[in-house]
Amino acid sequence: MNYFSSNSERGLLLAAGLLLSALANSAADSVSFNRDIRPILSDKCYACHGPDKNARKGKFRLDLEAEAKARRDEHFPIVSGQPAASGLVKRIFATDPDEVMPPPKSNSQLTPREKELLKQWIAEGAKYEAHWAYLPVTRPTVPSVPGAKSKIENPIDHFLLARQQAAGLTPVAEADRRTLIRRLAFDLTGLPPTAAEVGAFVKSKDAKAYEKLVDRLLDSPRYGERMTVNWLDLVRYADSVGYHGDQIISVWPFRDYVINAFNANVPFDRFTREQLAGDLLTNATPATRIASGYNRLGMMSTEGGIQDKEYLAKYAGDRVRNTSTVWLGATLGCAECHDHKFDPYSTKDFYRFAAFFADLKEKGWYKDGFDKGDWGPQLKAPTPEQQARLDAFDKQIARHTAALAAITDEKLAAGRAAWEAKIRAFDKGQKLTGSNAPAVKAESTAGTKLEVVKDGEILASGPLPAHDDYTVTLPARLEHIAGFKLDVIRDDNLPGNNVSRAGTSFYISEVEVTFTPDKKSRLQPVKISGATADFAEEGHPALATIDGNPRTSWGIGFLPGRSHNTTYTFARTLTGSPDAFFTVRIRHSPDHPRQHLGRFRVSLTAVPADVLTAVQLTGEARKEAHEKTIAKFYRTIAPELEALRSQLNLARAERETLTGKIPVSFVSESTAPRVMRVLARGDWMDDSGEIVESGAPHFLKQIVKPARATRLDLADWMTAPDNPLTARVFVNRLWKMYFGTGLSRNLDDLGAQGEWPQQLDLLDWLSDEFMTGWDVKHLARLMVTSAAYRRSADSTPLLEERDPFNRLLTRQSRHRLDAEFIRDNALAISGLLVEQQGGPSVKPVQPAGYWAYLNFPRREYASDAGDSLHRRGLYTHWQRTFLHPSLLAFDAPTREECTVSRPVSDTPLQALVLLNDPSYIEAARAFAEKILRQGGRGFDKRLAFAFETALARPPKAEEAQVLHDLFEKQWRRYQADKTAARQLLTIEDAPAPKNADPELAAWMQVSRAILNLHETITRE
Amino acid sequence: MTLPDFSLNRRAFLGRAATGIGALALGSLLNPRMLGADLPVEEKWPGVVRPLHWPAKAKRVIHLYMAGGPSHLETWDYKPKLKEMHGKPMPDSFTKGQQIAQLQGKELKCFGPQHDFQKFGQSGQEMCALFPHLGKMADDICIIRSMHTDQINHDPAHTLMNTGSGIPGRPSMGSWLLYGLGSSVDNLPGYVVLTSAGKGGQMQPLAARQWSAGFLPGRFQGVRFHSKGDPVLYLGNPPGTTREDQRGVIDAINSLNARHHAATHDPEVLTHISQYEMAFKMQASVPGLMDVSTEPASALELYGAKPGDGTFASNCLLARRLAERGVRFIQLYHRDWDHHGGIKNDIKLKAGEVDQPAAALLADLKQRGMLDDTLVIFGGEFGRTPMGQGDGRDHHIKGFSIWMAGGGIKGGVTYGATDEFGYAAVENPVHVHDFHATLLHLFGIDHKRLIHRFQGRDYRLTDVHGEVVKAILA
Repeated sequence: MNYFSSNSERGLLLAAGLLLSALANSAADSVSFNRDIRPILSDKCYACHGPDKNARKGKFRLDLEAEAKARRDEHFPIVSGQPAASGLVKRIFATDPDEVMPPPKSNSQLTPREKELLKQWIAEGAKYEAHWAYLPVTRPTVPSVPGAKSKIENPIDHFLLARQQAAGLTPVAEADRRTLIRRLAFDLTGLPPTAAEVGAFVKSKDAKAYEKLVDRLLDSPRYGERMTVNWLDLVRYADSVGYHGDQIISVWPFRDYVINAFNANVPFDRFTREQLAGDLLTNATPATRIASGYNRLGMMSTEGGIQDKEYLAKYAGDRVRNTSTVWLGATLGCAECHDHKFDPYSTKDFYRFAAFFADLKEKGWYKDGFDKGDWGPQLKAPTPEQQARLDAFDKQIARHTAALAAITDEKLAAGRAAWEAKIRAFDKGQKLTGSNAPAVKAESTAGTKLEVVKDGEILASGPLPAHDDYTVTLPARLEHIAGFKLDVIRDDNLPGNNVSRAGTSFYISEVEVTFTPDKKSRLQPVKISGATADFAEEGHPALATIDGNPRTSWGIGFLPGRSHNTTYTFARTLTGSPDAFFTVRIRHSPDHPRQHLGRFRVSLTAVPADVLTAVQLTGEARKEAHEKTIAKFYRTIAPELEALRSQLNLARAERETLTGKIPVSFVSESTAPRVMRVLARGDWMDDSGEIVESGAPHFLKQIVKPARATRLDLADWMTAPDNPLTARVFVNRLWKMYFGTGLSRNLDDLGAQGEWPQQLDLLDWLSDEFMTGWDVKHLARLMVTSAAYRRSADSTPLLEERDPFNRLLTRQSRHRLDAEFIRDNALAISGLLVEQQGGPSVKPVQPAGYWAYLNFPRREYASDAGDSLHRRGLYTHWQRTFLHPSLLAFDAPTREECTVSRPVSDTPLQALVLLNDPSYIEAARAFAEKILRQGGRGFDKRLAFAFETALARPPKAEEAQVLHDLFEKQWRRYQADKTAARQLLTIEDAPAPKNADPELAAWMQVSRAILNLHETITRE
Repeated sequence: MTLPDFSLNRRAFLGRAATGIGALALGSLLNPRMLGADLPVEEKWPGVVRPLHWPAKAKRVIHLYMAGGPSHLETWDYKPKLKEMHGKPMPDSFTKGQQIAQLQGKELKCFGPQHDFQKFGQSGQEMCALFPHLGKMADDICIIRSMHTDQINHDPAHTLMNTGSGIPGRPSMGSWLLYGLGSSVDNLPGYVVLTSAGKGGQMQPLAARQWSAGFLPGRFQGVRFHSKGDPVLYLGNPPGTTREDQRGVIDAINSLNARHHAATHDPEVLTHISQYEMAFKMQASVPGLMDVSTEPASALELYGAKPGDGTFASNCLLARRLAERGVRFIQLYHRDWDHHGGIKNDIKLKAGEVDQPAAALLADLKQRGMLDDTLVIFGGEFGRTPMGQGDGRDHHIKGFSIWMAGGGIKGGVTYGATDEFGYAAVENPVHVHDFHATLLHLFGIDHKRLIHRFQGRDYRLTDVHGEVVKAILA
């Protein structure tokens, strides 16, 4: 698809070396190994003359100074200060194809400039330097910038200005306040400022207005949500397992842990320890154990026929890749099959790193993942409030059970005798069939087509309203009726999991029964005293269908689709007649739209034959066993017990429902460590490799400990003050969040193939500052309160020419919002946004059939209802193999692997999302309603309101003209065609306003235009 | 529509581009409505391989992807010896120390081919008798009987077949091809995925990862077309919005964006404008593409397709229509080849679903003179064991078959062979990496030189492997 360049593409060109920055050192400057030479050697030479011993050619390596300068046969490759005597120079300048290096066949060719640099470096003494990122951070002195005319807010500005001065560049002025508040709001909270907030900030006379704004935004709970989006990309958080059937799992409490941690400003070293080893801490809490779910976020498989050992190896490799990338900016994953080609990581380092995680209790093949939802250790962590309620229910249940037991069979004797007499008095002359008669009629309230197909089985088809109830009528020709049975029948023609009309489950909130004994009588409601299901999803007990509460329900959940049933007992037995009939009304759960029964049967159940037989026996014939049989049955219908039974049912239904709401999350559980071996060429079937112990990469400082180094030791090692990588990695990534590009462009690789940081001094100063307390908010505040951050994004021809990629930060940058924030922004602008922090992931509207290629179980997406449709993007259900298409279109990663930096593309599919996705159509309608409601009178005022709301600025005259023309045209059109206006304004799950107002429809089209603007989805 | 006045912006932009971005990037940054309107599409959206490493034989791919792991032993690789040995123990020498999927720890017995084979065409290619239609095309087809792969489970095996690695996150071959060659169409995606299910019961899941652009920019990803609802997600206008209304809204958007660009000089804004133009074009071109009612009845009959039925037959017809319109990579997934049990009947069912349409596609392309530069590939992610699993077969990676036709491939040829049991590729083995290398070769690309840097490393579709299978090149 198409086809225009974007930021990332320009990055490509840069990386491909097609472009030389105007800032590159002139040859007159002295050459620095780390800045100038290592990138060349690493990129062009190390693949054959670097750390990987198996790929090394001619037994020669250039990455070690001693070897590069040692005698080889009759010459020296590098002779310090003497390019003419250096073999390397001869070879790179050679013209003979057999002589020249790199060989002509190779993909890596040196440019003339690179050759000159290598020569100059040797001429200047061929000084090697240790790789910058592996040297400990030392705090540089803050440079003074005498005579600087630009504003200086904090040390960041000193470092930047010093470099800018050296380059002879002057930064641009500060952005206006409208731009600043919108920039800050997006960067710190991921949401736009309201028009009122913009107004107040613009007008404020307070000298500290900016700093106060920063504080307010950092204190907002939205800050944690914003930070969490990027963290979840890194740790590859998702709501499904990823491999094969991509089954749905519950790990959202981990996501909430991250939000809370950022909001509470948990120091980054503790944040690290809790995720890697929250289970091993001496003061472990449910929260830290949920944090330890980090180790369980990788993909998992339940595919039949996979080998446990192979997948354990896959999971181990995944963990090494993830942890080393997230914390160390290291591509240690490259060393799984061979020594790293560019960095000193050896294959043994890879497996030593993997060994830190060898104690995790896990399986390669989660055999019961699909059938039973068993994916390894989980923690159920009720909130204190939930725990209190559980305890209260337990007490209630115990009390009611005791009270029921206290009413002994003796106390029920009189009532029972009367009931027995009634049974015995039944007139057999009515010639009832004694057997069950199938349903004769089935109706729906909202338009679903129901028909009785065979033996009382009812099939639903036709329209699928979001909410619908079914009513089944069935003759009552049984003699003694005890209750009824509801069979939910699997039908392969039903979508998804084959048990309902949508989604993977059905949810029945209530069943209600009436009885009409004969032609003369009116129908009478029948009380149900018990419900037992053959299976129920946790949190959805059968009793929930008789508790009178529409928000509780019975369902089977995300498991293989099979037929299931519930048996209901009436509170009294009823006697049939040739004309008697029942109606059973099945109410579907309002919280699970469309997940309605597809094929089912309702059939009456008789009083058990053994009870009836026993009742007929009197005098001598009746034995103790008969008494017991009758007494036991009678307790289920005794009116004397009804009140208590109801209370008990209610308590049980509520308790079970609550159980389903208790947060469940994967956690780390430590067990005897598995033996870890180096796998030759990564081959998991090869058991001949050396056994390794956990440990840090060999060339970095080692963990010294008599016992096995644990995950906790790894966390401590990574956050020790002398670890050179962790702080730099985090600082560099946070810098990118606020400035658009990292100080070192490669956020995921601080190794030899990474980029020499534009300003190592600044990176190190910030890293050192960060390590004193690992205070993330402090670091964020430092960055966003710098003068550099506040600059305008507008450039000048001079700056464009001298520093086209703005690596010296003389100006701010523009970048498109991330996928989730594009959605959040539209919801916030339109006023639809529901701000509720945390909880299970939600399912906004998604096109039908998008999940058709998932299986085990088959499933169909069922969107949520109500508030859940309008939550922030980070709460959207993250299905790894089929991520929500409008997030995916805007480059949200599938989170199968770690994503450090999302690619940014601009495609026609994105245009289609913003133009036509029903979520954005709904936002446009809500925005239009808001404009008419709050925007005052007349087009100009209303458009001004719309612009202030969406863009934090008033419209320009020419913009107003364009939109006015659009508005006029659309208004005339919808006045002429009210049907079209009604169609536009009608949105599923959000009823249209009563009168299809052409003005509203026209404003809706104007709103669509505004929501689609490049500026709307861009942070400046 | 009224074209916004770009003159000022264009000057400003060119100024910036000339100084900053460099002439190479220029072509791809410009709006076709401004500058490149008369350029051929290839010039507007160039790939990174310019010029091609050698002249291309193929211009597009139609990949008939039989998902689930079709048995080679009931399709393209006849093994009389296995028939003879039916029911007898599989010789230990083959299976010892080898990776096995669901048959782990089970007794391994030979399971003879369940259907007869016969010779087809002038070339006398040996094919299963269940494929009479394809048999008629035998002289155009090159059967490779010596494929092998590394991944024995569906999910990673698909990922390897599509991306050259079992680890998720790498670009699929279609994405690599678009990245390398650019697009040759500007009102349709360059990489289209169609799917069909079939009537058996062995529906293995299929992940969107299989057509993902991985670490390449998202615009290189495959776009899945749906047979129900909008063929491309969100393609349809909102209710009550005509094409003219939509044009009006997009004009307003682009007009405001153009003004914004004049103020900011941000080239991304121009990109954005062009994407809206292309989206609008797609809104018209995709429904036109999907509407097969313009096809003569004879065409529908040839393929055995009914308009809109979403079958493999319909998808084959759509594939031809996509190919005609210049789509570069067309992938048709047909699921349900995972025959662990009941292989005799189920493979017959599958053959019935694919034989006629696949043959019709070849014949149709040929008759239109398009087979010469269209590479048609037929195959799955792995094969199936010569050992029985009840009355079916387990996953198998040591030897399996695919066929290719057109696009610079020799017809009427059978290449490579498995041993007499059909267990391992023993003669001229072709690994998935070799298959990828050959594919790129046909497009004028040296697989060792189509690279993309990610996380500090140069990646290729073939990773560090791959040999072009020269013997099958026409």
